[in-house]
Amino acid sequence: MSVPVVYTPHYLDYNFGPQHPFSPLRLVMLLELLEHLGHPPRPTEPSPATREEVRTVHLESFVRRVEAASRGEVSPGFEHYGLGTADTPIFPGMDEAARWLVGGTLSAARMVAQGQAREVLQLGGGLHHAQRDLAAGFCVYNDLSVAIRYLTHQGLRVAYVDIDVHHGDGVQWIHYDEAEVLTFSIHESGRYLYPGTGHIHEIGKAQGTGRKLNLPLEPFTEDGSYLEVLQMSLEPALRWFRPDVMVIQCGADAHYQDPLAEILLSTRAYAKIFHLLRQYVAEFAQGRAIYTLGGGYSLDATTRVWALLYLLLQGLPLPERLPETWLRRWGLQLGRELTPTLHDPPSPYPEIPRRAEIEQRNRQVAERLLEAVRPYWK
Amino acid sequence: MLVKDVMNSPVLTVEAGASLEEAYRIMLEHNIRHIPVTAEGRLVGMITDRDIRLATSPLSAKGARSTQTPVGEAMSQPVITGHPLDPVEEAARTMRERKIGALPILEGERIVGIVTGIDLLDALLRLTGVSKPSGRLEVTLPDKPGELAQLCAELARRNINIHSLLSYPLDATQVNSVVRVSTLEVRKLAQELRHQGFSVRWPPEMPGKGL
Repeated sequence: MSVPVVYTPHYLDYNFGPQHPFSPLRLVMLLELLEHLGHPPRPTEPSPATREEVRTVHLESFVRRVEAASRGEVSPGFEHYGLGTADTPIFPGMDEAARWLVGGTLSAARMVAQGQAREVLQLGGGLHHAQRDLAAGFCVYNDLSVAIRYLTHQGLRVAYVDIDVHHGDGVQWIHYDEAEVLTFSIHESGRYLYPGTGHIHEIGKAQGTGRKLNLPLEPFTEDGSYLEVLQMSLEPALRWFRPDVMVIQCGADAHYQDPLAEILLSTRAYAKIFHLLRQYVAEFAQGRAIYTLGGGYSLDATTRVWALLYLLLQGLPLPERLPETWLRRWGLQLGRELTPTLHDPPSPYPEIPRRAEIEQRNRQVAERLLEAVRPYWK
Repeated sequence: MLVKDVMNSPVLTVEAGASLEEAYRIMLEHNIRHIPVTAEGRLVGMITDRDIRLATSPLSAKGARSTQTPVGEAMSQPVITGHPLDPVEEAARTMRERKIGALPILEGERIVGIVTGIDLLDALLRLTGVSKPSGRLEVTLPDKPGELAQLCAELARRNINIHSLLSYPLDATQVNSVVRVSTLEVRKLAQELRHQGFSVRWPPEMPGKGL
């Protein structure tokens, strides 16, 4: 059974300019690749989220600023809300562009909640850094939290899983005291990487205590260690929490080619992660999940990781080589040679001398994490 | 940062005539370790959970005392105090030098707050911590006028906001500046600053990642 896809070309309007790493080219390349592979998505087109829907998560003061910035108004107060900064520059129409992405994730949530689909792939969104009153880290509105809030309002318990290389801080803080939302973020340690949070001792507060999980990894973590500690910690959490639905942020920036971070996953690891997550969805969440995109700043790697996600969700065969026409066109346009295969070449980076130590430290962190949250699992 | 910015108020107090048992119960109920002791509305001492446990223990030099002993007989005095307008580093120095865990804060005779070691950790976190999503940048600068200004100018040029900045002497000729910067691309920033000749200590250089 194929998994419905949510997408609209309006997603491409979420564009901070040609120099900015959060590039809509990632989507253009992905869609063209899927087309050349003979499996173009036939997406459901969402409508943009309404202002009221955005307001289920974001504060009025913040939304008003985004709208004003979006109209081209200038105000010295914008920076206070994270707007017009190096990471999240202002562009005309940014309010609407951001609402399209929110609308997509929300549509996916509706389809699952209303029983039209068990799993849905949203080919966009995953803006996990946006907070109630703060745009941050390329994220204006938090589509994930708007969708999660909708789901909990339907009486559903949600497990949010974030494999983006950066901590899913926005989603975590927005639902920090909520009992019906479990958040799990696996990321490169905040010691080295933005946004600096995502420590194992951030475990939630009030009714949410023990339901916010963070697994910060050592830089240069590789496939084996990543998969080991992911299973070690996520599986018991889901087995205990038994969500009604999972929301999964599939950022592709933990790939070894990513320029902004230092985790060294290969496409083979991503295939295993996606398999594993689907297995968890089937076993612990009644088969219900929403998959979104997220970070991913190597165009070459991100396109391949998300193509993999799409093909696996649709149960399609994985090609070994990528189509020549696509490779030529984008190789020419980007002025660099692209990986010609869906998977990475074997041993693509030099051996990591500290491997054993990194594995040991990650294992220890996963154990500490479980020690920190387990006492609250009753 | 002033004492009034980090102190706890209002403050729970206990009468000198109250029993150790009662003082201990207040500590357990409120999850605190220090209580100022008053007599006729005036601060006369401090009692800690450690004072109470020691006073009632057979390990005590004077032998175990009854839990009904008045607080006034087990408290420490005289009390070292601070003022709400004292700089927080002065409170920290007093507590460090006198090796005390809490400092009652007085305005005249009135107890208006209390500062504990934990509050000082909070103060440290406010100076260096992650109150907003940001990256950590640490740069060693020559200890002379204008060096920090140059670093800040580089950040300003890139439209990168500074969430917090802490600068301290490293040795006779250098200072270390720890800056929380509002950008996801700290690695790239560090690389560019290194190229410009800044001595960037954090994020550490990581070979093999193309930028």
